[in-house]
Amino acid sequence: MAYERRWETRRRGGRSAGDEARESYYGVPVIHRAPWRWEIPTYFFLGGIAGASYVIAGIAHVFGGDEERPVVRAGRYLSLAALIPSPILLILDLGRPERFHHMLRVFKVRSPMSVGTWGLVVFGAFSTLSALIQAAEDGLFGRGTLVARLLLRLPSRAIAFLGQFPAFFVSGYTGVLLAATAVPLWTRNYLLMGPLFLASALSNALAAITLILTVAGRTSHRSLRRLERFETVVMGVEALLLAALRLNSGKTIARPMHEGRLGRIYRVGVLGTGLGLPLLVQAPGAWLGRRLPRGVTVLAALLTLIGGALFRYLIVTAGHRSADDPQATFELTRARENGSRRS
Amino acid sequence: MSTTVIRDQPGRTGTTGARPGAVGFLTDTTLCIGCKACEVACKQWNQLPMDEFGFTGYSYDNTGDLSATTWRHVAFIERISDSEGRRPTTMRAFQSNWLMMSDVCKHCVNAGCMEACPTGAIIRTEFDTVVVQQDVCNGCGYCVPACPFGVIALDLGDGRARVGDHKAHKCTLCYDRLRDGLEPACAKACPTDSIQFGLVEDLMDRAKQRVADLRAQGVEEAHIYGDRAVGGTGGIEGLNAFFILTAPPEVYNLPAQPELPQRKTIPASVSTALAAVAFAVGAILSLRRK
Ligand code: SF4
Ligand code: SF4
Repeated sequence: MAYERRWETRRRGGRSAGDEARESYYGVPVIHRAPWRWEIPTYFFLGGIAGASYVIAGIAHVFGGDEERPVVRAGRYLSLAALIPSPILLILDLGRPERFHHMLRVFKVRSPMSVGTWGLVVFGAFSTLSALIQAAEDGLFGRGTLVARLLLRLPSRAIAFLGQFPAFFVSGYTGVLLAATAVPLWTRNYLLMGPLFLASALSNALAAITLILTVAGRTSHRSLRRLERFETVVMGVEALLLAALRLNSGKTIARPMHEGRLGRIYRVGVLGTGLGLPLLVQAPGAWLGRRLPRGVTVLAALLTLIGGALFRYLIVTAGHRSADDPQATFELTRARENGSRRS
Repeated sequence: MSTTVIRDQPGRTGTTGARPGAVGFLTDTTLCIGCKACEVACKQWNQLPMDEFGFTGYSYDNTGDLSATTWRHVAFIERISDSEGRRPTTMRAFQSNWLMMSDVCKHCVNAGCMEACPTGAIIRTEFDTVVVQQDVCNGCGYCVPACPFGVIALDLGDGRARVGDHKAHKCTLCYDRLRDGLEPACAKACPTDSIQFGLVEDLMDRAKQRVADLRAQGVEEAHIYGDRAVGGTGGIEGLNAFFILTAPPEVYNLPAQPELPQRKTIPASVSTALAAVAFAVGAILSLRRK
């Protein structure tokens, strides 16, 4: 059963089946919600960080100076570290985990999940390779050993550059994957979902890298400021995209984002803790050059990460709610009098 | 309930993109007596387990919804009162004020579930029907929110005694029976021929005739659900299992003008790619050597 059956005695908010019957077919959902559990939003969060920290490391490597070496290093390691749990989460979520390799028997351009699986495989190769190169540079394979010499001889800049494509892909395709469903909240905002997921992935990766570098204390103040500047820009864009999503959804479809517990998570968790507070704390430091105490930087980064995780949870769960709401589906699929949806 | 007003659209009404030789169902809801013989026949033939036992309070509908283990679902809509709660004093020329409809997988001409499936488990058969290959499905569940009609579902068991197989299931249009030249079990069992099986083109001709007859009898709202005008819209190009309805689709819990979800894939990818380029430029500007 895709939804919880409500028997006559189990009224929802004091409404009986008869009350519901006036507005819909007894409140029964028109479409089935996705059967995904906690693994999927967790993967969205970690996979986003894996892709976006590769992006940061790669761009810092190709375009940045020697000062950015710590950023490259942190980004490469972080990318692989966040990537490793991803396939495990995805396999765990399957109804039949032992059949995970059936994903690899076809390549379907029209299925974002199929394309995403292959994108993840390709990105996995890049992420692993770059992390290995970093390990060799750090001397983790010994000096002058065969493995170390081989890895150091690889064209690491070219790899970092080419890897940008799968890295950006992994950071953003999950938004497209959700958009290509019948779920009202996701598909109504099809143009916004990918950019929003990208922005969230980038701000989370920037926060995580800042966190690592601040705690390790091995980077220049200038380099950190550059990261923070970019982070404030990304978070600003993210806030704008979220506002656009709300406007574009309309009242009925956006309802799950305002009401009850999810509404509180959205306002307090995603907007307040995840975007507002860190922006307030970081923006003066990043743009006016005021030096922040280390503790504050760490705190802001942590808040951003919490906000990012909550955002993934919110968008998935609010999507489920909108799928359960017959009015949201009708809003999406009602025939327009002027015939705008007539093809 | 704000519903859709159905008007005929020349060139769309009564046409579908079904391939020649495609078979399907015509479910004529004006003939349905709500006996649920189709539900039972489907369960028996396909050896589907029973559902949770209880009373929903949804009129005579104790089935509730289509699911992994329920592939025909008879909906009961009681129109015993007007919006003010009064009993109507005039009745339509035909039937009672009951609306009953046996819902089923629509075997869409372009099927959202099939396009979504990352394993290729969902295929189009030689009969132009949509079938899940049970030995391939790995239960990723992506087809479930990709069906615009809320048909396909994972079998997650009943949470108590019965453990589900965690794979996706839906109506197969009795693929095994078709192979042996038999009609699907529900159509066979239906005592009023509310469910009719046949070639989509033949059924569509019959449906157009029936709608014309009904309208001549004074049922002006009679219309086809599942052609290019209603139900099979937005790139779906028609439903091989279609319906004759006498009220707006929303009344039957059906979307009036659904869209093929994968139509969004390309524009959504383009906007994501553009955003990626913008963010890349931003990152280069912030991190480049100064
Ligand atoms: S109605 Fe749903 S499950 Fe049936 S073929 Fe169409 S998309 Fe697939
Ligand atoms: S659950 Fe099975 S049929 Fe549905 S999309 Fe996944 S692999 Fe395909």
